Amino acid sequence: MKLIREIWQSIVRRDPLSTDKGKSELVFLNVWLHIHPAKVKKENLRFKHSFYLGFITFFLFIILVTTGIALMCYYRPYPPQAYQDMKDLQFAVFMGPFLRNMHRWAAHGMVVCVFLHMCRVFYTGSYKKPRQFNWVVGVLLLLLTLGLSFTGYLLPWDQLAYWAITVGTNIGSYAPLIGGQLRELLLGGHSVGEAALLRFYVLHVAVLPSLVILLTIVHFWRVRKDGGLSRPVWKLKPQKQEALVTIGAPAEAVPLHVAAASTDKTYGLMEVVTGKPIFETITPEEEEDTVFSYPYAFVREAVVLMGTVTTIMMMSLFMNAPLEEMANPAVTPNPAKAPWYFLGLQELVSHSALLGGVVAPALMVLALLAIPYFDRNPSRRPGDRKWVLWVFTLFVVANIALIIVGTFFRGPGWAWVPPWVHVVARPE
Amino acid sequence: MERKLQQLFFALSLLALVLILVAEWQASTPSWKPYQRKFLQLEAQEEPNAVSKAAVLATPLAINQVVLPGLQRVDRCTTCHLGVEDPTMKNAPGPFHYHAGLGPHVPSKFGCTICHGGQGLATDMKDAHGNVAFWQTPLLPADYVRASCGRCHKEGDVPGVPELTEGHHLFDTEGCRGCHKLNGVGGSIGPDLTEEGANHRSPEWLERHFLAPNAVSPGSAMPNFHFTREQARALTYYMLSLTSGDMGSYYSSERLIPSPEYGRQLFVEKDCIVCHAIGGIGAKTGPDLLGVTKRHSAEWIDEQLVNPELVYPGSSMPEYDLESNARKALVAFLASATPEDAQQMLTRKGHPLTPKDAAIEAGKQDFARFGCAGCHGTELQGGLANPNAQGEQVPSLLHVSDDYTKDEVIGIIRDGRMPPLDNVKGPTPPLYMPSWKHVLSDEDINRIADFLWSKQQQKKESW
Repeated sequence: MKLIREIWQSIVRRDPLSTDKGKSELVFLNVWLHIHPAKVKKENLRFKHSFYLGFITFFLFIILVTTGIALMCYYRPYPPQAYQDMKDLQFAVFMGPFLRNMHRWAAHGMVVCVFLHMCRVFYTGSYKKPRQFNWVVGVLLLLLTLGLSFTGYLLPWDQLAYWAITVGTNIGSYAPLIGGQLRELLLGGHSVGEAALLRFYVLHVAVLPSLVILLTIVHFWRVRKDGGLSRPVWKLKPQKQEALVTIGAPAEAVPLHVAAASTDKTYGLMEVVTGKPIFETITPEEEEDTVFSYPYAFVREAVVLMGTVTTIMMMSLFMNAPLEEMANPAVTPNPAKAPWYFLGLQELVSHSALLGGVVAPALMVLALLAIPYFDRNPSRRPGDRKWVLWVFTLFVVANIALIIVGTFFRGPGWAWVPPWVHVVARPE
Repeated sequence: MERKLQQLFFALSLLALVLILVAEWQASTPSWKPYQRKFLQLEAQEEPNAVSKAAVLATPLAINQVVLPGLQRVDRCTTCHLGVEDPTMKNAPGPFHYHAGLGPHVPSKFGCTICHGGQGLATDMKDAHGNVAFWQTPLLPADYVRASCGRCHKEGDVPGVPELTEGHHLFDTEGCRGCHKLNGVGGSIGPDLTEEGANHRSPEWLERHFLAPNAVSPGSAMPNFHFTREQARALTYYMLSLTSGDMGSYYSSERLIPSPEYGRQLFVEKDCIVCHAIGGIGAKTGPDLLGVTKRHSAEWIDEQLVNPELVYPGSSMPEYDLESNARKALVAFLASATPEDAQQMLTRKGHPLTPKDAAIEAGKQDFARFGCAGCHGTELQGGLANPNAQGEQVPSLLHVSDDYTKDEVIGIIRDGRMPPLDNVKGPTPPLYMPSWKHVLSDEDINRIADFLWSKQQQKKESW
């Protein structure tokens, strides 16, 4: 008994959770939990404040990594075995369809949630100083997510995969000068084939996930260092701005100054920097608004985790991931469509290859990356930033509308065919 | 609030557990298991005592599969069709009956889908029988299964499947190649037929199409050849057998059926009669072959055909590169060869062709083989409807020497030509002369011209 207790204490080296010290130590003595602060602001825990979209995205990524590793055990990345392995998953592997469905739906879910998360961050103005760089990291993570989904799309090696990737990579090749070579580098040839499948596999299971993990670490780290979630607009006290000291990047025009003795909370770096090192200083009244992360934050995260997992499991039980005929370069489906999240792009390309396929998406990505540096208006109140809100809303609506048009309103020959009209394919 | 959240967390965790259990239950009750249990019960009935009955019933259930790398497929059909190789299951119900009349085509070596179609990898009935979206080769209707013999047996007659021979013959003589490519040879007006057997077209569709092309695919350029029902069936069989899929070395050696007829054909082709005699009729360089199968074993003759010098050092017989089934066919022919056969072969050889006749003969064969006859007619009479072309039809070639020089005709064959329009503003005629320069050698084209001119000659003489 004594030994057991000793072993337990060697693992869990904190005070009992009934004490405040124990609650704090649970967070900062634990390597996995210490990304959290020991105490969090109450309003940040509200579901309506963030919809927990970042968490959902992260949990979907965890589901994807787990199911992905399991799928790797059954998958050979060369044709035609790749397709046969899909059929094995469908018909012979124990719980194979469930596994593949989970991976598929979690992947689509991640694309959706990353986008929604970006929208939420924009509408709450949370990319503003000092969080500019984290917005940039977030946009890069969005691009990586699209890349992961796109590379994964080819792996089943069916007609859907083959032609979606053919169309997708063709869009890329419209870029002047480097487009063609870029496509060749990605495909390992002039068309989608064995080499392309292997390259997409390597990108999908090794390169892109590693990059996502690295950038996610940076993303989380910056969330903590930039002061957690941005505070609701109604709690903002703009005049406090000047009193801030930025660690690592001193606030411009405001020299480091010695703060008067204060009852404010400070932590860390006491010997190096004087002043209040956290950007949004906490007054005693605000101190009252905080609660310990344990259990308040953790229970909410756990609920969101289980909510995400059960939703994906439910979808996987009732909806099967598509699998068409084996890839056949000789038979082109009409229309051949890119993955749904690129259908907006494909719609643009159908009007102008250069403008729609290269200029518009490049400008879109550049604009997204540059938002925090161009939008210099420090205010996060919606009333003060009507103009940017309208522009961003237009961007979101246009994107969604283009994707809907590309998905549901385009038939053979990319002609306008509403979904309620049934087109009978003419045999050649 | 906090309490409720905790309760929600536990509820969701419980739900996750339930969902996993449901998924596991779903995975462990596949639709093939009841079939196997039923089969085991059927087998247990035959057992004499309770102990052996229990032993049969306790056989673990498992997916059975035949892995056929040579045919590039894995067939799991025997997961449910458990009795196909068991003659005692002749009268068994449902999916368990014995498959009679397979001959050497045992499922363990050939699987099932190579003949029947369907989705070999699938393990539930609907998917396995292939009548599902995104599977191109559903089970062939029983009437057409024999067409699959032609997928491996591409040459010679297939016993019991006269339709294939007939279809092949029609394809060669009716000039289908004029419009359709097969294995790289043929015109490009109609679709390439090299993979027609691997396409997802239903046999019924093909058959109706042969009877009335325009009724099935409106606007098709394919003329109605007024085939009979039997001919349409034969052509359908032949179409279903067309695939360039690699059957692997094991199966390709099975392509030729070792029939005496095929052996006789080889005997003529290889000119054996030039050295050998049968019952005294023929040459005397080699031994007389009458009754050779009684003097020597089949293995001995086989060895002799593979490597004559090894059997008879110093033998002057050349080594013929013959497939094992071709050698078997020769042996089969020799077993029944008579002096009359030898006599027939010798009389056929009686008239050696002059070089000019040979060229015309070759031209005639090219004309038929590359499908010129498809549009211009087997007697050069032309006359196939071709709307809005001059004369509304494909021109006859009977008077070609009146309108063109030989070089002009050679040019038209080589480069192809759009027919002159009847009405310049009208639609493009569906049929046109394709360019043959990538298919035919100049020599072939010259021979075809020679053949055409020989026909003009005959005509003038008959005048």
